[in-house]
Amino acid sequence: MDFQTLKEYLPFLIPLIILEISLSITALVHVLRHPHYRFGSKVMWILIVLFIQIIGPILYFTIGRGEE
Amino acid sequence: MNRYLAFFKKEIIEYIRTYKLLIMLIVFAIFGITNPLIAKLLPEIMKNLATDGFVITLPDPTAYDAWTQFFKNATQMGFIVTLILFSGVLSSEYSKGTLINLLTKGLSRTTVILTKYFSMVLVWTICIILCFILTYGYTVYLFPNDITYNLLFSVFCLWMFGLLLLAILMFSATLTKSSYGCLLITGIIVVFFMIIDIIPSIHKYNPISLVTDNMGLIMNSIKVSSLYLANLISVLLSIIFIILSIVVFRKKQL
Repeated sequence: MDFQTLKEYLPFLIPLIILEISLSITALVHVLRHPHYRFGSKVMWILIVLFIQIIGPILYFTIGRGEE
Repeated sequence: MNRYLAFFKKEIIEYIRTYKLLIMLIVFAIFGITNPLIAKLLPEIMKNLATDGFVITLPDPTAYDAWTQFFKNATQMGFIVTLILFSGVLSSEYSKGTLINLLTKGLSRTTVILTKYFSMVLVWTICIILCFILTYGYTVYLFPNDITYNLLFSVFCLWMFGLLLLAILMFSATLTKSSYGCLLITGIIVVFFMIIDIIPSIHKYNPISLVTDNMGLIMNSIKVSSLYLANLISVLLSIIFIILSIVVFRKKQL
């Protein structure tokens, strides 16, 4: 993909990237501040949240998050 | 009325604190942006996939492709995420025992069910509107010349099916103690709707036609009036499921 096509899709990519990053960061902050999980360890959840885009943070908040 | 408002406020705060609202908003916003984008990029992707001697040609993408993506994503991933997030609507309260305090202080069980249902409906409405606005904006930007028919009615049908689905979820949450059981019963009821859809004469009355006929509506090959009955039945079924869940919940041991 050359630079011209990339530029054409910028109005799509910028909001998408912002959304994905904000989701990752919220999940990451939550992982670090609440060290109790239903299963798995801190390192595992940090990796999942940071490297599996969109699905990772959703998985963490729905099934990984421990009770407060 | 005051009790409804207070409990409603508690529900919304819970959605914010447990990040449910945030996840719903972000997921639906991502769908809203990617729908037109995938429609636009699909021919390019297919071109790159083609190896020698094997050429896939697709017609130029139109606004219809973007809306196909919208209805596909909203009815599959959208509903799945919504149901999974809301599946703990009562089971989390059972397991923590947080409802017992409120109920012994005089909060009626009807209030609990109705408020929980309407707060889920509120979140669903906001999300579907957000997704629709984003898809609409980008579709107009990418495919300015394409005409679509009955767009608002089509999305309204989708929203209406969402209401029915949440009512079913509420009902199954009162039947079981765990969130997985709740998901399972909801799934079984939806599959039942899909199975009876095989009989053509029922299709007109079946609520599932609200989410299968959307593209026909947009291309103007299906008349708007053919879906009025399905809408009506969907509303009636939602009311019946909510009443049933109130009845079951009143008898339930917490």
